[in-house]
Amino acid sequence: MSPLRTEEFTINMGPHHPSTHGVCRLILTMDGEKVLKVEPVIGYLHRSIEKICENRTYVQCVPLFDRFEYVTSMSCNMVFSLAVEKLAQIEVPERAEYLRVIMLELNRIASHLLFYGVTAMDIGALTPFLYGLRERELIVDLFEMTCGQRLTYNYIRPGGVSRDIPPEFIPKCREAVKIITEKMSDYEGLLNENPIWKVRNVGIGYLSAEDAIAWGVSGPVARASGVSYDIRKNDPYSIYDRFDFEIPVHHNGDCYDRYLQRLAEIKQSLRIVTQALDGLPEGEIQPKKKINAITFKPPAGEVYARVENSRGELGTYVVSDGTNKPLRVKMRGGSYNQLQALPIMIKDCLIADLVAIFASLDVIMPEVDR
Amino acid sequence: MGVLKDFFNLVKGMTITGKHLGRHAVTIQYPEQKMEMFERSRGVVVLLSDKETGELNCTMCMLCMRACPTAAIQIDAPRDENKKRVLNSFVIDNTLCCYCGLCEEACNFCAIKMAPLYEFSTWNKDDLVWDVKKLQEMGRDVPYEDTRKKKPAAADKPAAEKKPAAAANPGADAKPAAPEAKPAAPEAKPAAPEAKPAAPTEKPEETKDEAAPSKAEPSDDDKKGDV
Repeated sequence: MSPLRTEEFTINMGPHHPSTHGVCRLILTMDGEKVLKVEPVIGYLHRSIEKICENRTYVQCVPLFDRFEYVTSMSCNMVFSLAVEKLAQIEVPERAEYLRVIMLELNRIASHLLFYGVTAMDIGALTPFLYGLRERELIVDLFEMTCGQRLTYNYIRPGGVSRDIPPEFIPKCREAVKIITEKMSDYEGLLNENPIWKVRNVGIGYLSAEDAIAWGVSGPVARASGVSYDIRKNDPYSIYDRFDFEIPVHHNGDCYDRYLQRLAEIKQSLRIVTQALDGLPEGEIQPKKKINAITFKPPAGEVYARVENSRGELGTYVVSDGTNKPLRVKMRGGSYNQLQALPIMIKDCLIADLVAIFASLDVIMPEVDR
Repeated sequence: MGVLKDFFNLVKGMTITGKHLGRHAVTIQYPEQKMEMFERSRGVVVLLSDKETGELNCTMCMLCMRACPTAAIQIDAPRDENKKRVLNSFVIDNTLCCYCGLCEEACNFCAIKMAPLYEFSTWNKDDLVWDVKKLQEMGRDVPYEDTRKKKPAAADKPAAEKKPAAAANPGADAKPAAPEAKPAAPEAKPAAPEAKPAAPTEKPEETKDEAAPSKAEPSDDDKKGDV
């Protein structure tokens, strides 16, 4: 009788796996339950947005950027608007800047609340999903009230914002901020000290600060590994230098710290929203020379703009040849780098841990594939 | 002690339950009850009519068509011998529409709007291609703020002149024949699907090419738009 032996085998996780948050295929090399190697296969959600941008006018590109990273569309609108404004030297009115910051931060909170719910559900807890989405609804309603859509806002435009806020926005926004601030203790109470949650997350998916930098990981994932880098502080865009907020940093670099990091960021975003609401000036929301959606032509040149998204550095590189359509648009999403860093996080992990790690990265596939 | 603690927990749990006892339900019974949409909600695209005359506000300036990033709006309105535009067709393909709202922003005449309507699903994909009649019918009850610059004499005149042209369109008689309009709509549909099969493949390039050279030519419209 031949001795019992084991051998490695390969399985596919995805592309239609509920925990991959989209369509990502992971080719796993397994030794029993243990994951030896993971190879992400991307491209299932490729829509060639960058190419389509080349035959749309500048303003027509903004709805495409909505679809680039649909969970925080405001940031995507913002990054393209910043690039075009840099290119054409457009001065943005004060009120528009404040409205942008309010919307960006609300969107960041909404995104992190979604993360809170979805990650917990991937690991097996249903209640946080209901909690997280309940409060996200408040924010989404605010967006719908202002710009008419709940997901693809097309709100922040080159030069300003598309519409002024309705009069009932400010009281409702203050109320939402108050409710979310109160509910933060609920979120923390539900998971922070939960023994199951801790067993599934503490020490899982370790990413060192060196690796995070080497792989270009940014955003909450890098900050959870101890890399204190936030574009809002390090390279302030818009009017972020006027607000008083901190960049929370955690040092363990595991799934649990990434979760704590995002909750801490919600609190800072709430602070920014409150300050921006207090400081909101009256005035115009578009520059004096309004940008025409069809005939707007920035001068020839190239520019890179970046913002801090809820998933890291979101950047765009726009090349203009002086016509009303961009010559080339390149998008950079934080999710892409985080997904590439996945293979080094799986050391000694089981297949169930892989789901937890993947969820803690908060990867969103349209941002990876574009 | 254990019993006491259990009892305490029970009371604590029941207090939470009690707190939520008198709370109103957050769910709604959809077909009977409908959600109230925000006034700005970007639902389906409709064409608005004048509140008094009931005619379309559209002046056929084609700005919406050129602002549309997906070429969902197709307007055919050539100029007649008096250099007046005559509306042949105004078709919106809801399967192409991305609900970005750029058409509404491009319009200076309160003619096109993304209405807070969301019930327009059909069994047949071709029914989502709407012609001017259907678009006007959908926009009939949509409230809107008339921000058109009223030039009393000038505004009346073109309206009076337009009347014969508009009457030639089915738009004007659509209102009295409201119950009739419904059977008329499916009638109009077979015409649209005929045009459709070729459309999806050719449309994007076609309109892009059209839009690019025409950019310089109808600049009179642009100037009008910037005022």
